[in-house]
Amino acid sequence: MIVAKLIDTTLCIGCKACEVACQEWNDQEYTMGTFDGSYQTKPELEYNFWNLIKFNEVEKDGATSWLMSKYQCMHCADAGCLAACPAPGAIVPLANGTIDFVHENCIGCGYCITGCPFDVPRLSPTSKKAYKCTLCSDRTAVGLEPACIKTCPTNCLTFGERDELLRMAETRAGELKADGFADAGVYNPQGVGGTNVLYVLKHASEPEQYGLPKDPVIPWTVSLWKGPMKWMGTFMFWGTVLGAFFHFVIYGPQDPEKHGHPADKAEAPPKEPNDKS
Amino acid sequence: MTNPEAEIRIPRFDAYERVMHWMAALSFFYATLTGLALWSPKLYWMATMLGGGYHIRGSHPWVGIVFAVVMGVMARRWAKGMRLDADDRVWLTRMHKYATHDHAALPPSGRFNAGQKMLFWTQLAATLALFLSGFVLWFPEWMPRSLRLLSIAAHPLAAIGSITSILVHVYMGTAAVPHSMRAMLRGYVLPEWARFHHPKWYKTWRASNDV
Repeated sequence: MIVAKLIDTTLCIGCKACEVACQEWNDQEYTMGTFDGSYQTKPELEYNFWNLIKFNEVEKDGATSWLMSKYQCMHCADAGCLAACPAPGAIVPLANGTIDFVHENCIGCGYCITGCPFDVPRLSPTSKKAYKCTLCSDRTAVGLEPACIKTCPTNCLTFGERDELLRMAETRAGELKADGFADAGVYNPQGVGGTNVLYVLKHASEPEQYGLPKDPVIPWTVSLWKGPMKWMGTFMFWGTVLGAFFHFVIYGPQDPEKHGHPADKAEAPPKEPNDKS
Repeated sequence: MTNPEAEIRIPRFDAYERVMHWMAALSFFYATLTGLALWSPKLYWMATMLGGGYHIRGSHPWVGIVFAVVMGVMARRWAKGMRLDADDRVWLTRMHKYATHDHAALPPSGRFNAGQKMLFWTQLAATLALFLSGFVLWFPEWMPRSLRLLSIAAHPLAAIGSITSILVHVYMGTAAVPHSMRAMLRGYVLPEWARFHHPKWYKTWRASNDV
């Protein structure tokens, strides 16, 4: 069974209880940031801050609206971090769809940051290893819902079976449409095979206004490296090694006695040396 | 009676060049093993052998810096002598003659033949690409995403070219051309070897040495 989080952004009141619950459950210390005139706790995710409510102030139709969105790991079906990771066992897709980081196998290269189309993982400045939301895999494993969901006071967040949540999301988007929000819809980007974090958005055709990428995909340079380039490298390495070996088998080593001299023959060496240097 | 060939030694690489070459070779070897380990999960056992993935992620860039610096030193020393002359250009069009031991069909080579010169320039270009892309990959937190995306493909691509040409180089320097290893390990070659492989270089040596 694939589990998912549904975030109905229309119900978020920006209370940030989910941020606190995430910090508490994962036992992370809060590090002070800078105040930049926003209600947002931090400008970006951090290695020890995995769940950020973005307070997107958007000018629309002559009015300012506050489009809340909850930013964290999207737990993609086709995960860019996993595609880019060079360390076996460091990023593990669990049977329930969670993308989990296993820190004893992480080598701290930061390739996951480059592979992630949502720019989610962060390196710890001390351990140099990558961290992000675990979808509370230590809670879901024993039948509990993630900490952020547990604490949400408005039912903006729901946890459950993915297919059921998708149906709920579509129903909710239909309600919003009936209420006059013609552009309402579900954010479940197909470029990464769908995500296990689903959003209901009032302005579904413009996810950028919520700080979400419009059409996230695994970067083609990562796919090139992990796909055709592996074949090319394997072919070239083995081709050269085998080519050299069979060249030797067929032609043998170069031999001045047998193989004739280059066109412009130099003088032959002397028979008796008088230079002992 | 002594064997005259054993008495005449033509100096080919001085100690500076030999140390330079082997520092490049050793750092390249280490960077290749650790790089291949991170290139494919199938080769990750090399990382385990060399101290684990976390360790090699730390050491690979530093060893890469050593390699790049030595390549810089090598370029300073050799770049001038690596320019292709008219004979070299003809040589390159007759490379198949070289591979099939038809040496009579080849124009004479100087201190380095055209193949060695091509290896030098290939390595120098690859080193520049590896150094620049490697630097970007070293510090993912500080580098713009567009550069990281470019480097994540450019680094292995340059490495494939570099490793492949080094495989050829190792074959040439060991099995294919007997006694060439002595030049790089001990620094000298014998007259007959020099006359066959590097006739123009040998002539110059003859002209300035009374033998």
